Amino acid sequence: MAAVEVERVTRVYKGRHGSPDVRALDGIDLAIEEGAVHGLLGPNGAGKTTLVKVLSTVLLPTSGTARILGHDVVRETDRVRRLIGIVFGGDRGLYFGLTGRQNLLYWAALYGVPGQLARRRAAELLERVGLQERANARVETYSRGMKQRLHLARGLIADARVLFLDEPTTGMDPIAGRDFRALVVELRKEGRTILLTTHDMAEAESVCVRVALIDHGRLLAVESPRTLATWLSRYERIDVEGVREPLLKRIRSLPGVGGVSASSDGGIRIDISADGTAAVVLKMLVEAGVTSIRTSMPSLEEVYVQLIGDRGLMI
Amino acid sequence: MRVLVAAARAQFQMTVRNLGSDLFNLVTVPFFAVVFIAIVKQSGRSSLIAYAVMAPVMIALWQMAIFVAGELINRDRWGGLLEAVIATPAPFALVMVGRIGTICAFGLVGFAESWLVAQIVFGVTVPIPHPEVLLATLVCAAFACTGTALVFSALFSLRESARVFQNSISYPFYLLGGILVPVSYLPWWLQPASRVIFLSWTAELLRDSLRPAPLVAVPQRLAVVLLLGFTGLLVGWFLLHRIIDRLRHEGTIGLA
Repeated sequence: MAAVEVERVTRVYKGRHGSPDVRALDGIDLAIEEGAVHGLLGPNGAGKTTLVKVLSTVLLPTSGTARILGHDVVRETDRVRRLIGIVFGGDRGLYFGLTGRQNLLYWAALYGVPGQLARRRAAELLERVGLQERANARVETYSRGMKQRLHLARGLIADARVLFLDEPTTGMDPIAGRDFRALVVELRKEGRTILLTTHDMAEAESVCVRVALIDHGRLLAVESPRTLATWLSRYERIDVEGVREPLLKRIRSLPGVGGVSASSDGGIRIDISADGTAAVVLKMLVEAGVTSIRTSMPSLEEVYVQLIGDRGLMI
Repeated sequence: MRVLVAAARAQFQMTVRNLGSDLFNLVTVPFFAVVFIAIVKQSGRSSLIAYAVMAPVMIALWQMAIFVAGELINRDRWGGLLEAVIATPAPFALVMVGRIGTICAFGLVGFAESWLVAQIVFGVTVPIPHPEVLLATLVCAAFACTGTALVFSALFSLRESARVFQNSISYPFYLLGGILVPVSYLPWWLQPASRVIFLSWTAELLRDSLRPAPLVAVPQRLAVVLLLGFTGLLVGWFLLHRIIDRLRHEGTIGLA
């Protein structure tokens, strides 16, 4: 049995004051095996958080069904709520006037964790996320990264079997982000199922077994992180300055060069569309004496555009 | 029960640390008390001192219900907390009852304030010949306040426009609650309406507890206060359930 099953889930927000309806989720199908860390990758507004809200029972789907460990999120709300933990990104989900420990004890009570167990678990979690020394300080005095770590502890206080991590590293510094990823790996070893939403490819690549690409409420693909990384490198781009037209003409004619165009800063942008082509182009540029060369990866949005353009509705 | 206690404890901890914001209504109690007691004293109607002392208490209790407790859901909503609470298995209305009850209990501090103003500012010692009635009424009033505030909290979370009436809605209740002007002075056709407002029963009981005369039908009158509070809880519980479902349907639980 899959831990998370989503079948043709659609969510439409009614337009207000004459504005059109917004289709935040458009017939999403997704299955996550028990014990897997699954990424949900997409740009802002793609529908990631909407899907997490549907799965965590705070939002009703317009159509379709979703189940957590076999329980329907609409009809068996109470059962589902006992199985899940949620970690929000940003400043949501914590009472700033309470201390870190008081927050955890409060949320533990709401999840029905008995008092003694809650106290023990809160202490363990505060230590696990490195907040034991600030456990009795008010949350409003925490840095953003500390709040984020407390969010994670909050999501774990009920010992949930399925965890939804909604942009959990927002605001974390690189070291805290690395520690967080290590913690996710630990949680996976404990057998928990994790759905991690992010727009950071590197983050998805480091912890996820599978990653679903989502944009405009539609699932574009479900792939391994390695495949996605290949896609990103395939669509690498090269920004150059001071290149003469004859050389540009030769580059333009190379197979695997998607296009050559004037960039916004007055230079030239060469878009690559096939594996291995970037190395060939770079070699030609260096041999021609070009010294102002910069390579960069495309954003996920740009990869999505390429994917849609290349494969159309096959994705 | 664990949820109720945890919610009450968390609200107590938050309110204690946020005195300026959550308990600002208690700041007005001494000022109201000075005005009312001064009027009674200057007019030579010392028999009405109980009215002057108890009116600010009732105002404080009502304002705590409307302005603080009534805002809890919206505060959680704007802070991105409501989604997290809804996603727990705890009955949301029970969480709110615990939190609102704590705030209403804080409102009872107004009695000490008003009594002390009479003593310190005017040198008037207000005797309490029936302390057990006073105490029982204050506890029942806090319960009834919780039920009423639960209803308003649900209504205020439904539509932003409902909050426009937050200020103006208090005055009809002050009048019908007979908190300063006895209900019997109101037009006859208005008087029945006051009997379904817990303030009117509470105000009479509180004033009576400060008078030396023997009291009549105290258990029955306290029972009415409790019944009105319980009715508020039921209505509020039902409303909250319906409103949360509606917000889940509309996708407007979180506003942050």
